[in-house]
Amino acid sequence: MLSRLSRLGLALPRSVSVLSTRFVSQSKADSAISSTAVTELYEPVNQSGHGEVSPFAKNPDFHGFSTNPEEDVRNMKMGFFLGISVALVIGGTFIHYLPDHGMRKWARREAERLILLREKDGLPLIEENYYDVSKIILPSSNED
Amino acid sequence: MLKILLPSILLLPSTWLISPKYLWTTTLSYSLLIASASLMWLAAPAETGWSFLNCLMASDPVSTPLLVLTCWLLPLMILASQNHLMLEPTNRQRTFISLLISLQIFLILAFSATELIMFYIMFEATLIPTLIIITRWGNQMERLNAGTYFLFYTLAGSLPLLIALLLLQNSTGTLSFFTIPYLPLTCSDPWAHKIWWTACLLAFLVKMPLYGAHLWLPKAHVEPPIAGSMVLAAVLLKLGGYGMMRILIILDPISKELSYPFIILALWGVIMTGSICLRQTDLKALIAYSSVSHMGLVAAAILIQTPWAFTGALILMIAHGLTSSALFCLANTNYERTHSRTMLLARGLQTLLPLTAVWWFIATLANLALPPLPNLMGELMIITSLFKWSMWTLILTGLGTLITAGYSLYMFLTTQHGPIPNHLISINPPHSREHLLLTLHLLPLLLLILKPELLWGWSA
Repeated sequence: MLSRLSRLGLALPRSVSVLSTRFVSQSKADSAISSTAVTELYEPVNQSGHGEVSPFAKNPDFHGFSTNPEEDVRNMKMGFFLGISVALVIGGTFIHYLPDHGMRKWARREAERLILLREKDGLPLIEENYYDVSKIILPSSNED
Repeated sequence: MLKILLPSILLLPSTWLISPKYLWTTTLSYSLLIASASLMWLAAPAETGWSFLNCLMASDPVSTPLLVLTCWLLPLMILASQNHLMLEPTNRQRTFISLLISLQIFLILAFSATELIMFYIMFEATLIPTLIIITRWGNQMERLNAGTYFLFYTLAGSLPLLIALLLLQNSTGTLSFFTIPYLPLTCSDPWAHKIWWTACLLAFLVKMPLYGAHLWLPKAHVEPPIAGSMVLAAVLLKLGGYGMMRILIILDPISKELSYPFIILALWGVIMTGSICLRQTDLKALIAYSSVSHMGLVAAAILIQTPWAFTGALILMIAHGLTSSALFCLANTNYERTHSRTMLLARGLQTLLPLTAVWWFIATLANLALPPLPNLMGELMIITSLFKWSMWTLILTGLGTLITAGYSLYMFLTTQHGPIPNHLISINPPHSREHLLLTLHLLPLLLLILKPELLWGWSA
């Protein structure tokens, strides 16, 4: 499949030079025949092992893990399974079903419920005093 | 706590004992399993704050997201390094992976430390594997300079911290996070008190980094291989933020006027480093300066010490960790293909590598804080709490947001849009490994939109 994407210069080392071809006549101006022959802008470079060989040349199904195809596929499968199916999906489900941390959502619902209740009965929404005033025992104001 | 720490420690002998055929597969698999197990920290039941307690380690709503981020990052670093280490001898590959794992161990211990000295020791311990990664596996000659700057800036900042902590231990008798917020701080001399305050914070301000002390960051982020850049940007900067959040509780309330210069410096740094980003030619340096910019906002937020600011800082730290790490991975995909960090050498990539362009797009949008991503939520909370603190900060933060959007788009447009340069004759398509790497970065970021309360820290 990748060998057809010759514009990316993959799969076949020879095709590196195909990229730079132009479908315009490069023949000299005084030539009587102006053909639409494909002539190359850059000479094909004879790499003979000195240049960088694309890993896709040897293994079109290269996944990026290893040059050995079996290890490559195994690594890919482990990585994707544990990374996505286990960590993201199962982990995500775990996080989604976590209980209400710090009772925040409960607090909001309770507040809304109490507000509705008190507005219906005409009561004040919240008392002015945080503590029950009758329970506060103050020291006597006698001078000592 | 030990459920995660012991498997991480035992990954070290595993890397040395596995046969080279299975090395990367196994380390990746086990680190992913540890990362999935680390999600249990998010199920903290205790209303008191501290969960998963033992004498030395505990997690609380501030450290939990950072711990999960640390555990999540190890498999990502292993995935990212696999390609460039393929040609090295096996023992060197094992050493590299061991360095990454030891970083994870130190970071877990640092974030879960309940005592300030243990936090300090782990804070310093993370410097060693990072230094080795930068100077041994970096690709350019400048890596030596980078390692020196990194090491000495951080050490120079943290030596006063050691002295300050020892002084505190002397006067209070303990440095445990459980008791120290309730102990009165007495110091007769106001000048000594001020110096002690600065000494406590300096280490973290250098680590964050604060704008004036940020010179180590562009070097240290650009020179190491991808795993080094990832861990630096994603977690090590947050060590500074976390440390600041912890120690400011102890330093209250003397810090009111003392923090003003640092807040202003941090906010000014947002604009200055943002402007530098607009003029960068080196892709990794652009992302590094962008980190300074975001961390400037975090530093300013932590210094004003309001609940919303802390929450915003925590959210932005996590979101920036994932985004910045993703951007470095994307820069690395460019680097592995062109062997150059110059942005102009790899333009028009959207036509050549459309799938990678999707990741570039999402990462860029995350970087410029697009709603509803947590990056925006964090920045917005920080900006609003800074505005409440002082109206005038809005000029600086607003301008900073504008410049952030500017350079993020500049980075995206330069690398992705425009004509393909003539010298690009063969670019390999993205590997499945690279797609997995970026998925594991950006998908959690997108999922965090759905449950941001994981990141809110202490505030309700």
